[in-house]
Amino acid sequence: MISVKKNNIEGWLFVSPLVIWISLIILVPIYIAFELSLFNVKIIGTSGKFVGIDNYIKLFGKSKFLNASLNSFYWIIGNAICQTFFAFTIALTINYKFPGKKIMANWIILSFIIPTVVVVVIWKLMLSSSSGVINSVLIDIGLLDEATGFFSSPNKAFISLVLINSWRWSPFLALIILSGLNSINREMYDASKVDGANFVQQFLFITFPNLKSVLFVLGLVGTLLSFNIFDIIWLITKGGPSSATTTLPLLIYETAFTKFRISQAATLSIVTSFLLLLFSIIFIKSMAPKEDD
Amino acid sequence: MNKILLFFITILFSLNAYAVTNVTFWHMEGVPHRVDRIQTLIDEFNSANPDINVTQEVQNWGEIYAKAPASVAAGTAPEILVGIPDFTPILADMGAAQPVEDFVAELDSKYGFYQKALDQYTYNGHTWAVPLWNMGLSLWYRKSDFEAAGIEPPKTWSDLKKAAKALTKDGVYGIGLPGNKQLYTDQTIYSFMVNSGAEEIYNSDGTLRFDNPQTVAAYDVYKELYQYSAPDAANWTWGEAEACFASKGCAMILQFTVISTYDSQAGGDASDLGVIQIPHANGKAHRAGTVSYVNSAMIMTADEAKMEASKKFLSFLMEPGNYGRFINMEPGLFLPITEAGSKDSTYWDDPVVVKYKSQVETMLDNSTRGSLFGFTNGNTFTSISSISAQNLLAQTLQLTLIDGKSAKDAVSEGMEIMTEAIE
Repeated sequence: MISVKKNNIEGWLFVSPLVIWISLIILVPIYIAFELSLFNVKIIGTSGKFVGIDNYIKLFGKSKFLNASLNSFYWIIGNAICQTFFAFTIALTINYKFPGKKIMANWIILSFIIPTVVVVVIWKLMLSSSSGVINSVLIDIGLLDEATGFFSSPNKAFISLVLINSWRWSPFLALIILSGLNSINREMYDASKVDGANFVQQFLFITFPNLKSVLFVLGLVGTLLSFNIFDIIWLITKGGPSSATTTLPLLIYETAFTKFRISQAATLSIVTSFLLLLFSIIFIKSMAPKEDD
Repeated sequence: MNKILLFFITILFSLNAYAVTNVTFWHMEGVPHRVDRIQTLIDEFNSANPDINVTQEVQNWGEIYAKAPASVAAGTAPEILVGIPDFTPILADMGAAQPVEDFVAELDSKYGFYQKALDQYTYNGHTWAVPLWNMGLSLWYRKSDFEAAGIEPPKTWSDLKKAAKALTKDGVYGIGLPGNKQLYTDQTIYSFMVNSGAEEIYNSDGTLRFDNPQTVAAYDVYKELYQYSAPDAANWTWGEAEACFASKGCAMILQFTVISTYDSQAGGDASDLGVIQIPHANGKAHRAGTVSYVNSAMIMTADEAKMEASKKFLSFLMEPGNYGRFINMEPGLFLPITEAGSKDSTYWDDPVVVKYKSQVETMLDNSTRGSLFGFTNGNTFTSISSISAQNLLAQTLQLTLIDGKSAKDAVSEGMEIMTEAIE
């Protein structure tokens, strides 16, 4: 009994620096943001009047918040669908042995390695209506009669951004899925072949169940990462046209640094953090692989 | 004992004599050759003034609105900050930008500022920054395109619509107009507002007068012209418009200058490059004008020694002989804002300015009739920063260009958005 207690104390002593450090870098900023959200500070560094929960009450009545929340929701769903599709396609392809496999594995990761600003420049050039290669190709193959503006209308801009972001992140997800695929015992596939299973059956009854742990982590981390994407959207559309691509992170930035309403931005940050925390808890409770899986 | 005391006093006085006042100069001209030109001038100043050490720090237009107030709050603000008019009220309001009317008057008596340049920084009983250079939007085109189409360069909105329509053919867009929620779009739509008599955003009591028939007319004509612009113009900034013109994808564009890209990427035939005043609403020739941005330097320190050192450096930049070289850090873009500066041989002797002299003269002439939203006739209020920083003129434009609302409804809704923004 004494030994267990001693072990517990030692355990706490070992992890306490990390616990204190994490508490400091997470809890202190959250506290500062929460405190700010109770005032009406406009510009960083200036003082404001105490307004209690007024900022929270006003926030839920604002169409901009609702619009950005919806955009964030569609953004996560769109990216989840596209990235899952692309990542599985890439991972399953690379998982097979074929000439040039190593070159391909290295090549596809480039989109993840190159800086975001370069990704943005490349895609803006390729999607340009006056000199972009994609418009030219689509016209040449007869899919378009004339050049189109990929960021000119709300829907086209949103879909284009989802595809660009998916292009950037899918290889990274593919590598994680690939590591999961490599850990599956090949004998299971060989045995299923003997039993006459086709590719789809192998995927549904061997591959997919054995990737549950990997997919759980990807689902959680991927969603949080997608939600927090700011750079690609800001650099390409700045949330436009007509706020069609303004997600919650963009709205927070705009509120703080172009509207100069720091307290309102802090309120948005607190609410957003709470929503993400809620999502994480629900996701972990409902999707975490069970011991017997 | 006395000798030791005397020794230390001598050392202290010597140290004081060699004390250097440091001045940090923030600006957003990050293009390498602009940085080099500024550094050349700083080096000349520093060697002539060993008691002052000026250093430049290049910032970014995209971040400066957030960074400057944060630096003031953190106590790390520079001594001199280059900015545009709509940025000044925030920093003046924070007590960071210092009133400089006496210093400006001193410079004015020597070099003669254009009144329009001073207007953009004079309000609330003070002058808040030292004007450095001007930029005014003009209409750029190729003379050969107009000759081939058999039309004259436009003077009125009707002419402009006809020209845009006639020049839209064979994959060329008649006019390149941005539809982005961005500063460039603010500038282009405001240049139409100026030309219809809607340059005033505020009433004299600080209430907004944005929703009026002249503004609606400007938004309406912009919407009509937008159909002749490139499909991805909803995502354009200055660079895309300039690239469209340089590649002959756009027949006309509204831009501060195209000289640099035209010269380096589009053949550089100076005789074919046309630049004119932005067309005005029919029957409103007397309203002809444009949007102009007088860039300036704010002095951000109340420390007497640093303030004096900052003034000395700015005086050095404004001096003929230095001034021309200073604003020619980007020849054909930055325009003089003083009488003396506009005669400075170091400005007119630059090879690029020599080659495009007639265009530069037209730009200079246009810029003298420039206005800026929120900084007209002394009706300037701190809240203009909220309107300009959020690009609400452009946001209003998107209501009609993207969301398909009528110009009247868009302007009405824009007025509501602006009213909420300035509360």
